[in-house]
Amino acid sequence: MFNYLSLLIALPLIGAIVLLFVPRANDRVVRWVAFITTLVTFAISVALFASFRATADMQFVERVAWIPQLGISYYIGVDGLSILLVVLTTFLMIIAIGGSWNGITERVREYHVLFLLLESAIIGVFVSLDLFLFYVFWEFTLIPMAFLIGIWGHGRRIYAAIKFILFTMLGSTLMLVAILVLVFAQRDASGALSFALTDILKTPVPIALQGILFAAFALAFAIKVPMFPFHTWLPDAHTEAPTAGSVILAAILLKMGTYGYVRFAMPLFPQATEQFTPLIATLSVIGIIYAALVAMVQEDVKKLVAYSSVAHLGFVMLGVFALNQQGVAGGMLQMLNHGISTGALFLIVGFIYERRHTRLITDFGGLSKQMPIFATVFMIVTLSSIGLPGTNGFVGEFLVLVGAYESHLRWYTVIATSGVILSAVYMLWMFQRVMFGELSNPKNQVLKDLNAREIVIMVPLIVMIFVMGLYPKPFIDRMVPAIDKMILISKTKQQVASVPAMPAMPAMPHAEPMTVTPAAEEK
Amino acid sequence: MIPLQYFLLLGAAMFCLGLYGALARRNAIAILIGIELMLNAVNINLVAFWRYIKPANPAFELAGQVFALFVITLAAAEAGIGLALVIAIYRSRDTVNVEDVNLMKW
Amino acid sequence: MPDLNTWLLISPELILTVFGLLIIVIDLVGREKSHAVLPWVAILGFILAIATIPYLAQDQTIFAGMYAIDKFAFFFKAIGAIGGILTVLISIDFLRTRTPAKGDFYLLLTFAVLATMMMASSTSLLMIYLSIEFLSYMSYLLAGFLREDKKSNEAAIKYFLYGAVTSALMLYGLSLLYGISGSLNLADLTKQFAASSDLSVKALGIVSFTLLLAGFGFKISAVPFHQWAPDVYEGAPTPVVAFLSVGSKAAGFALLLRVALTAFPTFHAEWIALLSVVAMMTMTLGNLVALQQTNVKRLLAYSSIAQAGYMLIGVIAANVSGASPFMGLNGVLIYLAAYLFTNLGAFVIVVAIENATGAVEIPEYAGLVKRAPLLAALFVVFFLSLAGIPPTVGFIGKFFVFGAALREGFLLLAAVGVINSVISVFYYFSIIRAAFFEEPKDATLIRVPGVMTASVAICAALVLLLAVFPQSLIDLAGMGMGMFGIARP
Repeated sequence: MFNYLSLLIALPLIGAIVLLFVPRANDRVVRWVAFITTLVTFAISVALFASFRATADMQFVERVAWIPQLGISYYIGVDGLSILLVVLTTFLMIIAIGGSWNGITERVREYHVLFLLLESAIIGVFVSLDLFLFYVFWEFTLIPMAFLIGIWGHGRRIYAAIKFILFTMLGSTLMLVAILVLVFAQRDASGALSFALTDILKTPVPIALQGILFAAFALAFAIKVPMFPFHTWLPDAHTEAPTAGSVILAAILLKMGTYGYVRFAMPLFPQATEQFTPLIATLSVIGIIYAALVAMVQEDVKKLVAYSSVAHLGFVMLGVFALNQQGVAGGMLQMLNHGISTGALFLIVGFIYERRHTRLITDFGGLSKQMPIFATVFMIVTLSSIGLPGTNGFVGEFLVLVGAYESHLRWYTVIATSGVILSAVYMLWMFQRVMFGELSNPKNQVLKDLNAREIVIMVPLIVMIFVMGLYPKPFIDRMVPAIDKMILISKTKQQVASVPAMPAMPAMPHAEPMTVTPAAEEK
Repeated sequence: MIPLQYFLLLGAAMFCLGLYGALARRNAIAILIGIELMLNAVNINLVAFWRYIKPANPAFELAGQVFALFVITLAAAEAGIGLALVIAIYRSRDTVNVEDVNLMKW
Repeated sequence: MPDLNTWLLISPELILTVFGLLIIVIDLVGREKSHAVLPWVAILGFILAIATIPYLAQDQTIFAGMYAIDKFAFFFKAIGAIGGILTVLISIDFLRTRTPAKGDFYLLLTFAVLATMMMASSTSLLMIYLSIEFLSYMSYLLAGFLREDKKSNEAAIKYFLYGAVTSALMLYGLSLLYGISGSLNLADLTKQFAASSDLSVKALGIVSFTLLLAGFGFKISAVPFHQWAPDVYEGAPTPVVAFLSVGSKAAGFALLLRVALTAFPTFHAEWIALLSVVAMMTMTLGNLVALQQTNVKRLLAYSSIAQAGYMLIGVIAANVSGASPFMGLNGVLIYLAAYLFTNLGAFVIVVAIENATGAVEIPEYAGLVKRAPLLAALFVVFFLSLAGIPPTVGFIGKFFVFGAALREGFLLLAAVGVINSVISVFYYFSIIRAAFFEEPKDATLIRVPGVMTASVAICAALVLLLAVFPQSLIDLAGMGMGMFGIARP
């Protein structure tokens, strides 16, 4: 079998290297090379998605010993949890490159090199099945992003870049320590040193360690998500980042956090997951309400969108920690939806920022008369972000709320629901202030509507908003088996743990179906 | 015969004196003298040990003496280098007081 | 009289001696023009010295057990020689405008590398003293090599005074150790410690280890023997600093490891406690003070102090039972190899910029990316490696060291190390921030000689490649453990 996944990681990297050899002044060529690279990467990921079988197994698995002395391998593969995120990444990368076609005029080559490096690293994060490999990719996403913010950002870009680096570094370093402790514990239990997720899952993690390890993983992921008290880097990073950077940051990088919970933190530490669920649910709900309230008083459109991200990700976390099929599926779907809607919102903010060089709500008003196409696009995306039926946001949010309500998180859900209303309030209010009313500001009276390039960028996003809103079945179908398995792993062990006399795993009857040994591994 | 401890005490006392001189003095030459004192204290130790201790390994019958000779030689080399550096400092800024040698944060 | 075979075993050392002398001869006899060949003579010597290493019969001691020929020593000899090569490469251009006396410089450098090789092989008290002093004398002279430069003078005298005091302390410790065993060999000392239950022997052992630590701590720039580092780094000729930061430090670690693990295993608990305190102070102080630096060389000095602290974690967590691939000791070796290429690479860039513009202050690095894009980009690689962020070899080093600490249960140390490595991102980033995010005051391009570009590119390539393919480095470091077969008779 051909190594499609490796190709997916390698392609952007190759593109970046090619870019290094394009003469500096040749911006057009640079843009096209980057664009074509992302396009090809996307095509391959779509092909992968098309040939992806709706089973719980890891597919397109590759495993090569990397540092055999330590049981570290180059071990990648996708299942229902990750395949969609990979496609989302490759999809949004095209949009991001297209979206910075005119906005970026300085050091164009370096900009695109960093973007392609970032793409490579993000895909790596989503497909890694080896904890060491995962950590390497995870850390590596940080560097291009920090540079994108620091060099091409606005205003307090340096402050934002440093804050971004320090927050994420703090979390990820703790995660590295936790990975090491986890691997050592598993080695003592099983006798073989291995960083592969599947090997580690074979033996249950000692209950005494679970709490602290979960806390370390959860902190790293919570910073990335970002969950309530750790979110403060996000508004800064978003506001100062260049448009395409914000798109990628919100739409994909944040998903690395939620994905981390689903892929690693919860299956690895089921008992701890159970213990920590109230805390995480509380933080999610606080995040939903708090971010919505803060968003309401923002004067900067981009900051408003940034806070809305915090609120949306709160829903994702709530759904995921409901640990039932609807909840997790809703959370996963909401991750995709948020990627598309918020990505689109940031692009929209970018469009007006490019025209007016301001993002203050008060500087606008009545734009809908001047820019009808823009107004339509903005409206659709806003409604999708609110979660109007018929758009993608509805499906995800609905599943999350249903799932969480049916689970042990019922009362949290009740409170969180008010967040849905709040989000409608602040989004619509913002929309109304920007688009309707008097077109009083003379600068706004000469604004041009969206040009062809901008429309071409937005169309795929809008199509996706409706496709996923009206016919989400193909996406959900591919996710469900993997979600079921993940829930099984994260839950069965919880039940086992409540039976104190039960010794180790091997004696358990349902141990077998949980161990992840995909058929694809044998080629 | 004088017991070993006496020599060791002498060595220790000399060493401490030298160390005190090296740390407390501000004149580079005085510091050098302090260092010499420390090295000579070591020599007393070495020779005293050689006199009183019978080594298990016959290859090292003369070890203490040899070591002391090496220390004397190296002390001379060290003094040579040290004085050369002191002269260089003196030429460039007319002082041998280490507190005045403070272009960089000390 | 040693036989031919013995001479062959020390051929790296002999080669360097011969080439050192050759350099003087060329310098004295040759005309001004022929002096351009001197650096290449030195490099040839280093290459030949490295080339002989794989052919030497290993795992034995020579000269009545005073000198070890083992893989552990070879590892450090290779590090010293590679450090020497890179230092020569960056010195050529640096010296051109600054001093006429080039022959002396390469002679001193060659002998300094020779001294690090001897340190790596020393297994007797006398050899430890001689080799450390040898290296020190060469380093003092190299640090003060720019006689007309006031800062260089000042660096040399400060280095000398600290060095002389700490080496006297160490020497006193050595004399006590001689008194304990009546022998100069570490192996005899080990036996003596193991056989004796006398409390005074134990007390003397602890006292002398502490005293020895002064000498070793000075070489590896561990707190509280680090004070020389910032001034020497700032004042001494930058290529010399580059060498001191890797060659001298590596040799110091070689001795510390050998002495601590082979001579003092009976005091394991005691020296672990002592070193733990030193390691924590070293990391924390180095990092916290580095945060306030504005001079790049001073910043790298404190960074190098902090790095010594991380490496000490590996020494403390050393476990030579071989039960786990995280043996601490191999972590130190990997870390040192990583640090060799990383820090030298960073210093090449510092030298290149200093040569072209005279800039050594961080604000002067503003907008470097526009003036020297390649250098700026590679600077990032080196700083990532210093901060231990993947995909760089510095990360592999930290991974092994922290892994060993966690594996052996030194949780506090690991925690302090991890927190410190996050802090370190701050100040490494401050240079990157100036270089990338700020606008240059003067936008002229910086011209870099080909030799420099080549050496910095090689360093960067190794930093990245050794991270992607670390197996061979890990194997080499693992083999370095061979010394434990012979040091315990």
